[in-house]
Amino acid sequence: MSETSPELIFVGAITGARGLKGEVRIKSFTADPKGISGYGDVFEENGATSYSIQVVGQSKGQVFARLGGVEDRTAAEALKGTRLYVPKAALPEPADDEFYFSDLVGLKADLVDGGKLGFVKEVHDFGAGAILEVTGGDLGVVMVPFTRAVVPTVDTKGGRVVIDPPPGLLEPAEPEAME
Amino acid sequence: MARSIWKGPFVDGYLLKKAETSRASGRNEVIKTWSRRSTILPQFVGLTFGVYNGRKFIPVLITEDMIGHKMGEFSPTRTYLGHTADKKARRV
Repeated sequence: MSETSPELIFVGAITGARGLKGEVRIKSFTADPKGISGYGDVFEENGATSYSIQVVGQSKGQVFARLGGVEDRTAAEALKGTRLYVPKAALPEPADDEFYFSDLVGLKADLVDGGKLGFVKEVHDFGAGAILEVTGGDLGVVMVPFTRAVVPTVDTKGGRVVIDPPPGLLEPAEPEAME
Repeated sequence: MARSIWKGPFVDGYLLKKAETSRASGRNEVIKTWSRRSTILPQFVGLTFGVYNGRKFIPVLITEDMIGHKMGEFSPTRTYLGHTADKKARRV
């Protein structure tokens, strides 16, 4: 997944240099690509090397940024392929009934009747609301809509979600009669 | 060329029947369907469909904003594993 440790969140990767003044091109994975600069300094994977970051432009799914201490193109080119992280503590507290995808991934998924469904492997959003991909149980991969009705309990500290599956979610599909 | 207005939106008949049956029963069930080509109609709002993407049924909770779109638009067939970064999920 996106994290190397619980404390660091993977937010982008340097894909190359831009211009002669040390600007870099970054593939940003934040919800708003320019938001990569909104969490303070960015860190390399080792957690020790950090850079201040200032976004100066955006194009074709990438952002252009200046990193502190990178003054020329040679230094910028040397950073190609570097993955950038921010401390998890730098992310703001989510609002009520909002959860970071990274907080949901890995939670155990239990059924309201006490059964085990597996664990949350991924969280998706294809435009119709968030969906939990639950796997590791007897039913294989189950896609669960992330709604209050279907997921009444989310206990990130306790490491579990409780799922109240609506009829038809866990049962095999009935064949459709073509007309 | 766009579809002629006089034809109205296309929906597979069997999907319409399933949706009407589900709405009449009042059960909040997931209607599993292979009909990715069907247009989302106003009477589908509030229902949850499981739209097949070739491998699994993706749950799609229909809202007003989706009217006029096709079912398949909300159930991608290709896998893209992005990164979670700062993305947030809101329970509705």
